[in-house]
Amino acid sequence: MTPSESLPVEWSRFQRGALLAAIVAFVTCAFAGGRNPDQFFRSYLFAYLFWIGIAIGSAEVVMLQHLVGGQWGLALRRPLESGARTLWLMAILFVPLVFGVRHLYLWAQPQALAQSEELRRQSFYLNMPFFFVRVAFYFAIWLLFTYLLTKWSQDQDRQADPALGTKFQVLSGPGLVLFGLTVTFASVDWVMSLEPRWTSTIYGLIFIVGQVLSTLAFMIIVVMLLSRRKPLSDLLSAKVRLDLGNLMLTFVILWAYMAVSQLIIIWSGNLQDEIPWYLRRTAGMWGNVAIFLALFHFFIPFLLLLSRDVKRRGWLLGAVAGMILFVNLVDTFWLVEPGLLRNGFRIHALDLATVIGVGGLWVAFFIRCLKQYPLVPPNDPRWAESLIRAGHD
Amino acid sequence: MSSPSFNQNPTPEPEAPLIGFGYNYATVTDKISAIVLSKRTPRTWLVGFAIAFALLMVLMLAIGKLLFVGVGVWGIQIPVGWGWAIVNFVWWVGIAHAGTLISAILLLLHQEWRTSINRFAEAMTLFAVACAGMFPLLHLGRPWLFYWLFPYPNTMNVWPQFRSPLIWDVFAVSTYATVSLIFWYVGLIPDLATIRDRSKKTLSQKIYGIFAMGWRGSAKHWKRYETAYLLLAGLATPLVVSVHSVVSFDFAVGIVPGWHSAIFPPYFVAGAIFSGFAMVLTISIPVRKFYGLEDFITERHLNNMAKVLLATGLIVAYGYLMETFMAFYAGGRFDKYMIMDRMTGHYMNFYWILLTCNVVVPQFLWIPKIRNNVWVLWVISILVNVGMWLERYVIVVQSLARDFVPSSWRNYTGTHWDVATFLGSIGLFLTLLFLFLRYVPMISIFELRGLVPKGDAPAASTGASQRG
Repeated sequence: MTPSESLPVEWSRFQRGALLAAIVAFVTCAFAGGRNPDQFFRSYLFAYLFWIGIAIGSAEVVMLQHLVGGQWGLALRRPLESGARTLWLMAILFVPLVFGVRHLYLWAQPQALAQSEELRRQSFYLNMPFFFVRVAFYFAIWLLFTYLLTKWSQDQDRQADPALGTKFQVLSGPGLVLFGLTVTFASVDWVMSLEPRWTSTIYGLIFIVGQVLSTLAFMIIVVMLLSRRKPLSDLLSAKVRLDLGNLMLTFVILWAYMAVSQLIIIWSGNLQDEIPWYLRRTAGMWGNVAIFLALFHFFIPFLLLLSRDVKRRGWLLGAVAGMILFVNLVDTFWLVEPGLLRNGFRIHALDLATVIGVGGLWVAFFIRCLKQYPLVPPNDPRWAESLIRAGHD
Repeated sequence: MSSPSFNQNPTPEPEAPLIGFGYNYATVTDKISAIVLSKRTPRTWLVGFAIAFALLMVLMLAIGKLLFVGVGVWGIQIPVGWGWAIVNFVWWVGIAHAGTLISAILLLLHQEWRTSINRFAEAMTLFAVACAGMFPLLHLGRPWLFYWLFPYPNTMNVWPQFRSPLIWDVFAVSTYATVSLIFWYVGLIPDLATIRDRSKKTLSQKIYGIFAMGWRGSAKHWKRYETAYLLLAGLATPLVVSVHSVVSFDFAVGIVPGWHSAIFPPYFVAGAIFSGFAMVLTISIPVRKFYGLEDFITERHLNNMAKVLLATGLIVAYGYLMETFMAFYAGGRFDKYMIMDRMTGHYMNFYWILLTCNVVVPQFLWIPKIRNNVWVLWVISILVNVGMWLERYVIVVQSLARDFVPSSWRNYTGTHWDVATFLGSIGLFLTLLFLFLRYVPMISIFELRGLVPKGDAPAASTGASQRG
């Protein structure tokens, strides 16, 4: 077998389909959003957060697998690198939000600011110029690391250089630290500040864990689809599938642990700045969403992923991953929308249109990146290792 | 046997070995069991034990005084009702975390390097839990009524408050102590049998024989053993997280600024692993030197532990940063005052020293040269221990001393009885540790045999090779 095989042809059809869906969705957005810009920006923020989560998560998991190694990392490496490269697209797709800041955030609205003493106290941090400086800074960091990871990966494809392994590791340690910090502050800026009085010190971590979880779910689906053919069919042994399942299980547990910690602490404290966040998210229909999240973001995937049979069977693992990805979309909705709507539960047509629009572009770009390079990095030392092992088995 | 999947270094250059060159099954067994079976107790051991035992006597004295007079001998007052005792409790519980992490989680992750330090770390866990458990009990005021903490039907019709994390603590810590003890003991059984078989004295044959529970090393024994050990590892894993999360709830569910922070559970758990690994380094570095175990606890082990120290230290630093940032971001008066008081108030020295020890010093571990320098590593590990004690001191004391009502503000200092109890608990820890080093094989003999380069030897003797 050779690692040089690239993406099967039918993926080009996926790509065209995704692009088409994006175009249709954005045309819908233009019509509906023109009449209701507030709703458009709300929906767009939600859709954007979901998809950039996978992009950022991809960069993080690439660096993670460079640090800890393992065959699972080799199987996921190219899809992850492609996911990270979609950050370029996400940087461009941030532009509509630039125009949406005043529609979305109370702290950016002069009349709200004039009325509220509390908002004025927060304006040393929550103000428009500083907000944009920070956005630029986050993207600068994210794109710099994506650029280096991609470039060195290309270098490695051209020539097997053992020094590159060390270089990847030296980059990845500080990279994870920087990503952890920037993603935390981005989550504060973009989501937490929708309800400016509310704070939670664990919020950034919950965000990061959620992003990594949706990334793992998405990438598992991708490699499961690719595993029908070489070279990934050789790489995705039962053992690697088990590792991938365990990794996803770990993040399912981590997510639940952090979400429950935050709930217990805020519920017990019952303070007037904190508890409304939960009251809004458990009132009426939102309460049912919360129960749905508890069941499908934790209990059901947890119980399923405990089983080794589920983890070993590719299609079952893929199905669980698909479920997790969908639940993560619901979770993003539950995190963002109650802070914006403030009264009642509603799913607007624009919510769907923006998710499909941003997602269609994202998926098309992702496939474009995936097509450009061999599906398995031929000079990754783990590839040779897997060949030796395949010979033994 | 498939090789572990999480610890393969993607770089092709070979890693340092986990065991020194030239060992085979017999020499490994000889070297470790000789420490236990040697007739002559080393003089340095005696000196060390004497010092530890003297400290233990200080503890006895301090507890005697406390029982005789009451908790007033400690510096606690209103509003600072939790002083050194609770600081020490949290510190010791934290230290107790490395053992189970190394034994259970690293086992499930197939990290072979855990093998030569797990026994040792588990023992340390047990002793640290013993030290930790003592403090809340003594702090009760009337420790002889400790059983009131348990929910049992009684004529007073009094039940514990189940909504209070303090009562969760009772269950969390006692469960942790029980499971750690069983895990440690089960892991010891094959080695106790080895000592029984090699011992020449009847008495020690009998004693080790009783504790080895009739272990013969048959294939069936090994099969059952491996299943049991793996199940115990699975059981112990959630406990690593649960204990310190519950300890953090003791603080975080309250509304005192400095305590009420949602990041406390993961930040406490990371802090616990941070201090636990620091303590493993603090103790294993001199022990490996003294007993000549450099071939078993290699530089690669120390290097890996240093990496864990760095990673968990970064999470702890993230916790400090979030607390500070959110206090300013929210713009509320109380949280901001609390942070400002930490930085500039009565306890500012503690705060800045703890930041230096826990945030600045561990950054040196980014440098491979420092990770490989044993004695620098040792100094760093001690500084981390100090920093983590101070961290708990600042959380417990400073937050309480400056609560919402200025009229009740009062600064706190521990008395010399506080110091005596703390030093005494170190004495208890060290006494138990010295006894352990002398009477129990401190490194798992049979698991280490599994690391000996195999050639055509059967792989079945690895105690922990099966998949979880």
